[in-house]
Amino acid sequence: MKVLLVEDNERVASFVKKGLSEAGHTIDHADNGRDGMFLAASEPYDVVIMDRMLPGGIDGLSIIGALRTAGSKVPILILSALSDVDERIRGLKSGGDDYLVKPFAFGELLARIDALARRSQESPAETTLVLGDLSMDLLSRKVTRAGKGVVLQPREFKLLEYLMRHANQVVTRTMLLENVWDYHFDPQTNVIDVHVSRLRQKIDAGFERQLLRTIRNAGYMLSADG
Amino acid sequence: MARLLRVSAVNLALGYVFLSICVLTLFATPLWYAWRESIEEGRAALIEDDARRLADVFQTQGAQGLAAAIDAQVGRRLAGGQIILFADASLSRLAGNLPSWPPGVPESPGPHNLSIDLGGSSMQTVLMRSFLPGGYNLLVGRDVARFRTLEAFFWYGLAGAAGIVLLVGVLGGLLVRRALLSEVQGISQTASAIVKGNLSQRLPTPGGADEFDMLAQTLNRMLDQIEHLIHGVRNVSNAIAHDLRTPLAELRSRLEELSLTHPSPEETFAEVDAAVADVDRVLGIFNALLRLAEIDTGARYSGFVQVDVAKVASEAAEFYQPVAELKGVRLSFESSGELTVAGDPLLLAQAIGNLIDNALKYARENGTITVEVVQQQPDGVIGIAVSDDGPGIPDEEKPKVTERFYRGDASRGTPGAGLGLSLVAAVAKLHGGSLQLRDNHPGLRATLILVPGIGPGGGPLAVAAGASFAGG
Repeated sequence: MKVLLVEDNERVASFVKKGLSEAGHTIDHADNGRDGMFLAASEPYDVVIMDRMLPGGIDGLSIIGALRTAGSKVPILILSALSDVDERIRGLKSGGDDYLVKPFAFGELLARIDALARRSQESPAETTLVLGDLSMDLLSRKVTRAGKGVVLQPREFKLLEYLMRHANQVVTRTMLLENVWDYHFDPQTNVIDVHVSRLRQKIDAGFERQLLRTIRNAGYMLSADG
Repeated sequence: MARLLRVSAVNLALGYVFLSICVLTLFATPLWYAWRESIEEGRAALIEDDARRLADVFQTQGAQGLAAAIDAQVGRRLAGGQIILFADASLSRLAGNLPSWPPGVPESPGPHNLSIDLGGSSMQTVLMRSFLPGGYNLLVGRDVARFRTLEAFFWYGLAGAAGIVLLVGVLGGLLVRRALLSEVQGISQTASAIVKGNLSQRLPTPGGADEFDMLAQTLNRMLDQIEHLIHGVRNVSNAIAHDLRTPLAELRSRLEELSLTHPSPEETFAEVDAAVADVDRVLGIFNALLRLAEIDTGARYSGFVQVDVAKVASEAAEFYQPVAELKGVRLSFESSGELTVAGDPLLLAQAIGNLIDNALKYARENGTITVEVVQQQPDGVIGIAVSDDGPGIPDEEKPKVTERFYRGDASRGTPGAGLGLSLVAAVAKLHGGSLQLRDNHPGLRATLILVPGIGPGGGPLAVAAGASFAGG
């Protein structure tokens, strides 16, 4: 995956660059707004990671605005130290696809850009999600594992749907909290872990192959080759 | 400030005086015009009447008879303001009370204003010349000096009225100024005391309902808010110093130990992971503080929409349900249907979540937690009550638990930074409500009180501050 990182802080930039290269991605890095704008406009990227406050006369949101005006549909993750809810809303309104507050855990960043890149390729008209012997019918809202029905609460269904749409990808607790429950706060207790382990009980109990795995220091992954 | 006001009070009074005089002038002008018109018309009618009467005498009794009649009527005296002069074709006087034919009398019909010379003194007159058969001339008129006094009376009256307006206006202005100054000085003295640092000062509110009392009440509420915020800032700085220092100190010693002792790679990695966890703890506190600050400054009104709090609460209860089950706690939810308020759904969810989270921390093994959403009639106040059967909070600690970083004795040994209830209280306040803590015998019943109809921007805060929840 080809990623553009526009970030002026050297330390953060080298941390992200190193981590992304290790995960097998190709990185271009711009340390100011002007270069970032130029690269984003001239090269095809799968994902752009954009800091908000940049030297070089153009800030991150202006670059995003300009890219969107020019018709670019590249998924953009905004990386910012501005954590207010209103700032997040402004960032997303300007054309960003996701917003991550600094400081962040690298696993969170990686999971989010994977999700963004996936989202831009996904066909929205699916009515059935399948992963190995697990299948989910979105219309009749029925879930089966190896042909046997699995009974899920509505919220568990939503949780599993999100995991299946992001199959073979690391999904963090924050991503689940934001996308399944639409909560944007830290619930302190390990509520998400409890929800996931309950879901795991329902889909994995009694099967030799475990689909839902916990990824240490990052989150969860649903995959058929576990 | 006082100088400005003095000027403004006088300006106000002078403005009113000017306005009154304008009105008076506008009122007097048509009056004056109508008055003049009617007097002049009346005078012209009198003069024409005189002339017609004298012409009749001339018709019946001839020139001699007219001269005799005039002599009998006025002689040579200028009495009663009536002017009559009868002259022959060469304008020589035959009879009347003018010594000679005055020069400059127009020949055209109708009365004319003319100043005539009477042996040195001049007289303002209205004169009308009539031509009689045989070349005789008749001049009939009136001395207008008599009307001068009337006119003068009118002007005196007008000037008197203007004078009274001026006097009353200036006096009124001074009185208003004095009243305003004394009121404003009270406010300004209190404000000065506050500027000097005495934040507990309040404006006197005599309990009246006039504009100044309302202003004083509003200012007092503003001062309450400022004092609360300042107090909060002070507390927070102390608390930050204490509570952030602890994990930072741990982190520091951990890292220093690593760099001094160079332990085995496995141990190093374990320590680094622990250090990251320390940092995350600090960041968690930091984020909670920022959230609180964001709510406290009231900057979150942009997120206000119409929210069904019953739905928010039921979703929050559902969210924590698995945790409760894991702990063997029965978590139940009750509501009387949809209850809508203007609010921020994210913050309300977080506040209710915090209450449930709190209850889960303290509930007994196999205990019960109840989340109830009730609307109190008839005032429509909505209460979201989370009750547990844990140790509860002693009465003397209740006011303190919503302070930043406060942790009661019962909470020692449980995770958390002492910010959860502060956030709930702040969210309640943002929505014009409050957080009420009661005993649940045993346990704690925490009620988030919301007042519907209080929209962004405050609304009737006095009502909100006084709202209490009697339910349950």
